[in-house]
Amino acid sequence: MSQPILLRERPPGARQLLMNGIFGENPVFRLALSLCPAVAVTTTVANGIMLGVAVLLVQVLSSVTVALTRRAIHPRVRIPVYTIIIAVWVSAIDMVLAGFFPSLYAQVGLYVKLIVAFAIIISRLEVFASRMPLIPTFWDGLGMGLGFLFALIVIGVFRELLGSGAILGYAVVPEKPLLFFALPAGGFFSIGLLMAFFNVLERRRNGGKASAGGGGGHGHG
Amino acid sequence: MSDVNPIVAPSAPSGELWRIVASMTATCAIGAAILGGIYIGTERYAEEARVRGERRAVSELLGLDEGARVLEVRQFLTPARDAVVYQRPAEVGAPGRELVFSLDGTMLHDGALAGTAAEADAVREFHSLGRLFIAMREGAPAGFVAEGESRGYKNRIRFFVAMSADWKIAGVRVVEHEEDPGLGAEIATSWFQGQYVGRELAAVPRLDVTRDPMPEDWRGALRARPGAAAGDWASRFGTVASREAEKPIYAVTGATISSRALTDGVRATILHFRRRWELIGPRLLVPDTREAAK
Amino acid sequence: MVDRRRSRSRSVARWIALLAGVVLFMVALAATAVAAPPADGGFIQGARILVPDHLRLQLAGPAPALDPANFRLTDSRAPDVPIDIREVVAEPGNKVLLTVGERLDPSAAYRIEIREPAGARDVRPAPWALLLTVVLSSALINNFVFTRYLGLCIFFGVSKKRDTAVGMGITFSLVMILSAMLSWALFSLVMVPLQIRFLQVLVFIGVVAFLVQALDTILKKTHRSLHQKWGVYLMLITTNCIILAVPLLNAAADSGPAESFALALGSGIGFALALFLMSCAREKLELARVPVAFQGLPIAFTLAGLFALAFMGFSGLSFLR
Repeated sequence: MSQPILLRERPPGARQLLMNGIFGENPVFRLALSLCPAVAVTTTVANGIMLGVAVLLVQVLSSVTVALTRRAIHPRVRIPVYTIIIAVWVSAIDMVLAGFFPSLYAQVGLYVKLIVAFAIIISRLEVFASRMPLIPTFWDGLGMGLGFLFALIVIGVFRELLGSGAILGYAVVPEKPLLFFALPAGGFFSIGLLMAFFNVLERRRNGGKASAGGGGGHGHG
Repeated sequence: MSDVNPIVAPSAPSGELWRIVASMTATCAIGAAILGGIYIGTERYAEEARVRGERRAVSELLGLDEGARVLEVRQFLTPARDAVVYQRPAEVGAPGRELVFSLDGTMLHDGALAGTAAEADAVREFHSLGRLFIAMREGAPAGFVAEGESRGYKNRIRFFVAMSADWKIAGVRVVEHEEDPGLGAEIATSWFQGQYVGRELAAVPRLDVTRDPMPEDWRGALRARPGAAAGDWASRFGTVASREAEKPIYAVTGATISSRALTDGVRATILHFRRRWELIGPRLLVPDTREAAK
Repeated sequence: MVDRRRSRSRSVARWIALLAGVVLFMVALAATAVAAPPADGGFIQGARILVPDHLRLQLAGPAPALDPANFRLTDSRAPDVPIDIREVVAEPGNKVLLTVGERLDPSAAYRIEIREPAGARDVRPAPWALLLTVVLSSALINNFVFTRYLGLCIFFGVSKKRDTAVGMGITFSLVMILSAMLSWALFSLVMVPLQIRFLQVLVFIGVVAFLVQALDTILKKTHRSLHQKWGVYLMLITTNCIILAVPLLNAAADSGPAESFALALGSGIGFALALFLMSCAREKLELARVPVAFQGLPIAFTLAGLFALAFMGFSGLSFLR
């Protein structure tokens, strides 16, 4: 599970892709992509779920679009074209949300628009969707989206429970234990702790071989 | 993520360049066309959803029942900032009405409004001062709702303020904001907004915000209010409520700016409404009593 | 040897250019403040709000009739609603102190008029104070990285070394300002009149992509070595959330050009500051013994959390109160 999925010999099957997206190459905890919303939106689980679902939709739709049209995209302009495809889907979802789910939209409006700049989606298009046929791309997109949703839920539970004493708005403990976790600074701490936790899990699974998760080897200078 | 390749290789031969330009343009055109189509398809619903949300907020605030009807008045400031225009849109069975006042309160015009497109165009450049909703029961006002706006921590906060017929605050409802969930967004909760309820008009000009922590019994009372019947709540929490009635608004912990923004906005909206109603109230109500008497 | 001297002198030149830009901006602000004095001062030479409910006026001559009916104070947003004036008291030096019946907001705009002798004045914070507040707010109080959690991917990727952090900070600030102004122009002058606001996401990201590409090409042609050193940062800017967030915020608030510029400048300064601080700390961290599970990003996040805590201390900062 520590080897990126594309380096394996056979094209991966649906289950492998899904598990990879959620655990092996979880976009937030392992690939360290799209951290902005992971910190911003996870003050409550409900917000995390809403944005996670939106990202899931955009990821799947964009991946499928690129997989279908990859032969028509000129390789030299592929990044701008991917960006445009993502922007179209994001705007479309934005408008549909505004029209049919206004109360949802009121809470995550700005962040929905920012999905365009999410590294997770464009990197997945570049790495996977542009090279693989339609069906595996669909499963990969779904897996990545679910992984992102999963990460948001985990962080959201952590922060909402500790920060507001509630989950999904239902009070679990009578008071706010540590309001700090609902604040931006607490968001950073939460993710740091959770990343370390997932690193420990990963090391246990690999029998002590650290795979430098959380982007240890990932960095631009 | 490995280094992303440069967007376009440096020296593409010109034929290739044209193909690149063509494919980019085509992609943009297709994208814009798709978005345009979706916009046309959803804009109507987005608008309807917004209006529906507002109507619901207004009805709840005014405690509407079958006996009441709602008058809507739109307020504008002329571009030259020298007159205030009040328009009551035409509705079934009643023509629209337009009142224009100068800044010092002299009436400049009182006439009918037909609801034509030309009239709508005429006010397009006007600066909107928000809308008023007046609940009428048996020809007399049973409550008012004024729309207001103020600058919050992130962006603007839009809200409705409801006043009862005897000029006490009946409620505050935030309808639009971009504040942080868990912090500034708490001003949009019913328990925070419950702090404004019942305050007298005389106390509004000095309405202020305090950073002191809210007493726990008051917090419990405010949380219990939405679900409880009015008389039941008053008997359980009467003493606490009267103790807190004169106190300033308790800010949300960690969101003083948002709390202050809403309070300042509520204060300004009520004061402005009070003054304007002195001018237009008597005029707007007269035809209604005549109608009700028929 | 020669290369190092040249690159050092070039980086000095860059710092000077940035400093010059900031100075020019301040001069422009001062010019707007001077060129647009509050309307027809005349008899009223100055006005100052004293919280919570006083207004002090500096007059050109001895105080007129001290009757509240002689004065009219209105909020600029509601010029038809006179604010209740309770008391007027003369003070030495041709000053007058008004006591009003409600709380006044020093960051809002009011208008004070005197009937006899006739005089009027707008009471509002100076334009430079307003713009400076926007800059400070977006740089410190609402720092885009630590308070609004935007731009994190780039932030954590680039903040490992001080040089790269500084490079990215400067590059980002310049691109941010250019792209925000271009986006503002397109939005206000083209999209709003044509009622195509719904295309804003597409247009703004297009502006960024175009700008990044143009700068990349220009840099490659004119300063090859500069491009080799800084070119990679340009590509990364496209995926920086902040570069899209600033035009979106400006569009949502219908900001004017000065406010858009101030927001872009502030966000650039804030991002550069965040990067610089983080890189200093992370360089030190290289020498510390970090538990294996925390190595890499987890400890960086914890560090960012500490910085965010520190930045919360700015939340009371304001020029206007």
